[in-house]
Amino acid sequence: MSKKTAYLILTPGIVLLLFFLMLPLVSIIWPTFYDGGLTFNSYLVFFQDSYNLAILFRTIKISLIVTIIGIGFGVPTAYYIANSPKKWRGLLMSLTLFPLLTNSVVRSFAWINILGRNGIINTALLSTGLISEPLTLLYTEFAIIMGSFYLFLPVMIISLVGTFENIDTEIMEAAETLGANRLAAFVKVILPLSIPGIIVGSILVFTGTLTAYTTPQLLGGNRNMMMSTFLYQNAMALGDWQSASVIALIMIVTTLLVMKGFNTVAAKLDKRGEKYA
Amino acid sequence: MSFVDLEDIRVSYDGKNNILKNLNLSIEEGQLVSLLGPSGCGKTTTLRVIAGLIEPNDGQFKVEDKDLTKVPVHKRNFGMVFQSYALFPHLTIKDNVGFGLKLRKESKATIHTKVMEMLEVTGLADYADRYPKQLSGGQRQRVALARALVIEPKLLLLDEPLSNLDAKLRINMRLEIKKIQQRLGITSVFVTHDQEECFSISDKVAVMNQGVIEQFDSPEVIYNYPKTEFIARFIGFENFFDLTHIEDRTYVTSDGTQFITGRSWEPTKKVGTIRPEDIELIKDHDYPEDNTITGTVKVRTFLGKSYQYEVDTSLGKILVQDNSGVAYEAGDKVNLYIPEEKLILV
Repeated sequence: MSKKTAYLILTPGIVLLLFFLMLPLVSIIWPTFYDGGLTFNSYLVFFQDSYNLAILFRTIKISLIVTIIGIGFGVPTAYYIANSPKKWRGLLMSLTLFPLLTNSVVRSFAWINILGRNGIINTALLSTGLISEPLTLLYTEFAIIMGSFYLFLPVMIISLVGTFENIDTEIMEAAETLGANRLAAFVKVILPLSIPGIIVGSILVFTGTLTAYTTPQLLGGNRNMMMSTFLYQNAMALGDWQSASVIALIMIVTTLLVMKGFNTVAAKLDKRGEKYA
Repeated sequence: MSFVDLEDIRVSYDGKNNILKNLNLSIEEGQLVSLLGPSGCGKTTTLRVIAGLIEPNDGQFKVEDKDLTKVPVHKRNFGMVFQSYALFPHLTIKDNVGFGLKLRKESKATIHTKVMEMLEVTGLADYADRYPKQLSGGQRQRVALARALVIEPKLLLLDEPLSNLDAKLRINMRLEIKKIQQRLGITSVFVTHDQEECFSISDKVAVMNQGVIEQFDSPEVIYNYPKTEFIARFIGFENFFDLTHIEDRTYVTSDGTQFITGRSWEPTKKVGTIRPEDIELIKDHDYPEDNTITGTVKVRTFLGKSYQYEVDTSLGKILVQDNSGVAYEAGDKVNLYIPEEKLILV
C-alpha cells in the first residue's frame, strides 16, 4: 500500500478526531488564555484564592486515598479470584462486576442510606448503646472516599485479575521451594510482577475518582466540594464559564501529571531487563 | 530404610480416580534416580509429592526416616528445577540465584561469594547482572539449576529440565547435570519421558505406568530385561508373540516353531519379545531349526547405518533392523533368527 493510500484511509479518522475531540477542547481552553492578547490571568486568579486551592488539594487527596485503599483491597481480592478454580472464577468475576451494571446515582444513594443520620450504621450503633448521638458520617470527606472506593474497586480488581492470571504458577512454586512461605513468595515475587496491572488499575481509579461528579455531589455536600462539583457550580449555578474552563484544564493537567508520576514509579519498580531488550 | 522413602503414596484429585496408587519408592543417598514414563503416568505428580507441592491423600514421605509428609514446601530445603525454569523475570541472574540464600538471612558477603561460586560452576559468571529475558534457553536452564543448587539442598528435583532445549544442547546439558550431581554427591530425582536421556544420566530408573512403578532397576537391567510388556514397548521392543511353555527354557509358538531361551523365566510370563536390531536376517537355507521363523519382506526402509524391514510371518508382522549391508527387496523370502539370549519373556 502506498503512502498516499494510507493517508487517504486515515483521513476520516483524523477529521473525526480533530472535529469532535480537539475542537471542543480547544474551544474551552483557548478563551482562558485569551483576553485581547495572551494572558495567564485566569490561572493566577485561581491559584491565588485559598478556597480554590483547598478544593484542588482535597480532590487530589481524596483521589490518592481512594487509589491506595483500592490497591489495598483490590490486590488480595484479585489474587484470590485469579487463583480460584476455573468454575468459581466466572462467578466471582460477575459478582465483582455487578455493581458496575447499576447507575452511579443509585449506588451513591445506597451509601446515603448507610451513612445518613438515620442510616444503617447510626441505627445499629445507637441501638447497641455505643453512642448516644448519631455520628456525622454523611456529607464528609469520609463519605466521598467510601462512595468512590465502592464505585471504583471493581475497576482495580479487573485490571489485576488478568495480571495475576498471566503469572506462571511455577514461579510461585519455585519461590516456595527456595524457602519462601506463601506470604514471602507473594511479596517478593508475585507483587513485583503485578506492578503493570497495579499501575493500570491505579490510573483508572485515580482519574475516575478525580473526575466523578455524582458521588461527591451526593455524599460530600456543598462543604466538601471537589473539582468536578466545583466546575459544575461555576458553570451551572454561577454561569461563570470562564472559571469552569480554568478548572477543567487544571483537572486535565493534574490527571496527566499524576499518570506520569505513576508511570515513573512503575518504571523504577518493574525492570525485567527492558533496557537491554 | 533408605535415604528417601515413599511409602504407599496415593494421590487423587477428585476422590474417584487415583493419579498415584500405593506408590513405593526408595532412593539411596547420592544416587540419581529417574522417573520414566509416558505423559499422564504420574511421574510429575510423584515429584511434586516429594517437593511438597502436592499433599498425598494416603501414605508417607520420609527423608532419613523423618516423616516429611506434612512439612510445607518452604521448610523442606529441596532444590527444584522446573520444566519452564520458572526464573524470576524481575530479578537479575545474580539475584535469582541468591534468592534462596537471602531468605535464609545469610550475610551479603556470604551470599555474594556463594552465588558467584555457583555461577562460575555453571558457566554463568559473565551474565550475573543480566535479566532472564536476555539469556538463551540453555543459559536459563543453568540459572534454574544454579538457583536450586546454591541452597545446598538435601534433594535435587528435576522436572523434565531438558525438554525445552534443542537436541544437541540437551545431550551437553544432561552430561553437565550428571557431572555436577556426582561432584556434589547430591541425591537427585529426575523426571523425563525420554528413555535415552534417562538411561544415560541415571543410577536407577523407575518406569511408571498409570500411577504405579512397574520396574525399578538400573538402566542396564531395564534396557535388557524389561519386566512387563508396557516397559518393553516403551523402551524399543517392537515384536511380541505368544509362547507356550513346554519345559524349562523351551517354548513353542502357535505355529509350532520351537524357541529356546537363554535363561529360565517365571511360568507367568507368556509373551516373547525382541528388539528389531537383535533379530538376525538369514537368506540361505543354512539356519538353525529352533528360534527361526520364515517370512516375506513387505517394506524396506533406509535408516542410514542399517535397513529396517517389515516382515510378514506366521507370527504376524515382525520388524527387523539389519546392518549386514545386504539390501533385500520387497517380496524376498527371508529367515529370521532370534538369538536365545536376546529373546525376552514378559
